[in-house]
Amino acid sequence: MNTLTTLAAIVIFPAGLFLLANGLVYDWIDRKLVARMQNRLGPRWFQPFADMTKLFIKEDTTPQGAHWLLFHTLPVIALAAVLTAALFLPLFGLPPLVSFSGDLVVTVYLLSLLTLCIGLAGQVSGSRYTIVGAARVLTQLFAYEAPFLLALLGPALVAESWQLTLIMQANASAWILASQPIGFVIAVLSLMGKLEMPPFDAPEAETEIVAGALTEYGGAGLALFLLAKKAALVSGLTLIAALYLGGIASPLDYLLKTLVLLLMMAMAHAVLTRFRIDQTASLWWRWGLLLMLAQWALVLIAKGG
Amino acid sequence: MTAERFIVPIGPQHPALKEPGHFEFTVEGETVTDARVRLGYAHRGIEKATESRSWTQNAYLLERICGICSHVHALAYCLGVEKLAGVEAPPRAQVIRALVSELERMHSHLLWLGVAAHEAGFDTLFMYAWRDREQVMQALENLTGNRVNYSANVLGGVKCDVTDDHRRQIMKMIKSLSDRIDHYLSVVESDRALLQRTHGVGTLTHEQAESLGVTGPVARSAGVTQDLRRDAPYAAYADFPVRVMVAQSGDLKARFLVRLNEMLESIRLIALMLDHLPAGDLEARMPRKIKAGETISRVEAPRGELFYYIKSAGGDMPERVKVRTPTLANMASVIVLSVGHQLADIPMILAGIDPCFSCNDRMVTAITPQGNQVLTWAQVRQYGIDFYKRQAERAGS
Repeated sequence: MNTLTTLAAIVIFPAGLFLLANGLVYDWIDRKLVARMQNRLGPRWFQPFADMTKLFIKEDTTPQGAHWLLFHTLPVIALAAVLTAALFLPLFGLPPLVSFSGDLVVTVYLLSLLTLCIGLAGQVSGSRYTIVGAARVLTQLFAYEAPFLLALLGPALVAESWQLTLIMQANASAWILASQPIGFVIAVLSLMGKLEMPPFDAPEAETEIVAGALTEYGGAGLALFLLAKKAALVSGLTLIAALYLGGIASPLDYLLKTLVLLLMMAMAHAVLTRFRIDQTASLWWRWGLLLMLAQWALVLIAKGG
Repeated sequence: MTAERFIVPIGPQHPALKEPGHFEFTVEGETVTDARVRLGYAHRGIEKATESRSWTQNAYLLERICGICSHVHALAYCLGVEKLAGVEAPPRAQVIRALVSELERMHSHLLWLGVAAHEAGFDTLFMYAWRDREQVMQALENLTGNRVNYSANVLGGVKCDVTDDHRRQIMKMIKSLSDRIDHYLSVVESDRALLQRTHGVGTLTHEQAESLGVTGPVARSAGVTQDLRRDAPYAAYADFPVRVMVAQSGDLKARFLVRLNEMLESIRLIALMLDHLPAGDLEARMPRKIKAGETISRVEAPRGELFYYIKSAGGDMPERVKVRTPTLANMASVIVLSVGHQLADIPMILAGIDPCFSCNDRMVTAITPQGNQVLTWAQVRQYGIDFYKRQAERAGS
């Protein structure tokens, strides 16, 4: 592969611009699904694109008391981290652009960088709502991160490799979902926690703290954060589909599996009431982590036997 | 923990508030340790305005105090003025007044159900409740011609009649709504995600309810058996006895249950009233000038006791009209209940009293560097003139 095609693959397709567009389309599908479940019409297909266009056109302001440098660089770092993470993933059913031993762990940590950036952005914005929001973002990060990582490493344990392509090959014949259903459920729920999707949206609960950590952002900064979140949504769905749903072999396979996952998340969104941040934390530590450890114990016993 | 107090301001503009009010919550971590409220952002001077309008015009003005419980304001006013004039509305008018009151209670409680669900982050219930509320709005529009300020009342009676068509429409509507409300009752009682936000949250004890003087569903959810429709029947409520819905636990769940059960009770009353609608006139003749005197009139609004004081000097305009809306009585409970709760519970505790800010704003105070100061009417007028003069100067320069 020459430099030009590699560059095109990173910037345009399947990573880069295509990933962002994919994220916006999935965002629309999510909003539309939830709207239909709530007996509403929902937005038209171009609404997320229109939102982004509007945000990029808007004036970029820095609030009083904010740290100028961090306030403006954090959105860029967040988006860069997510776009980098996507390079290790079988986006759109195509083989990952980069693959090496341990890329699974790198991916998970790059995705966490997004959450860290949002938390930090809240801290440096200098508003009361953003500070409370930042505290909640970081609390939630510590709550779901351990179960999330353990849930993603469950399939790795079976394949005895931490390399995504190898795990997919090893698990292509049998869906891990069948043998590790607990891990699957926890992976999906922690992804919702990571993306701050309802009911785990305490960090941005609008009726309490306006928009949480990102309250002071508007214009391009907010657009970058939102794009990073959409890209993280697609990356997370791809990751779970690749690990639990028997890998991703083709674009059709990719669409089918990720959309089913998206439908599950939209349903959870529609039927559940928002958890308070202390309830979220206790849910993950009391149930998520313990169930995950039990699942691991079972896998290890099965492998040993 | 720093010694500095961390205050989270909510309002005057905030997504949790649909109307302006200002709250300051001191938090330690997520726990609220102190709460303060400042009201008065939507003061409209309606009480004063009544003094320069005729008795008839005031019915329409006062109806506009609240956009949700508009009928009860006009009703309380009309009942008071009729009492002063010694006129009694005909029986058919009295039943129609009670009928519209109950329809209004239903749409108000369904609206509240949606708002409370939204504050808890359960938007699906919000959307469903408001969809069902639309049926009541339709019924009210068919009956009175208006969706919000129905103007069903006139001095001495009502202006709209209930025809057989209306009766059929309303019966159909309450039949479908009664199923929906049963469903919401089961959701509120059994949905575990919702219960963990309502069960045992914002608990108002019976003693607190008594000492804070809360009224309406908030009081009834804390075991205070109090309902003006039963305690001091007005309109046609003496002929249609109301079963007062009470819950004992005093928490948010109890407020959901009380309001939902009240809707079922409203449905029962509406069906009963439609079946036993007396024949006769809709209006009694009212004099243009009301003889001198003063009176009070109280009705049970969806949010609690609504109080009117009306004074006449014998002219064709009132001398004084004083209104106390239920939100004012219930507001103190928000401040008391907030302390010790999580910040996340505050919007729900606030929504739990079903606040209506512009209805309860009526103080004439100005915050000056010397502190709060009560102004006379002449001083307020001068203050207004000076304020706009200063603004004009600023715009000119």
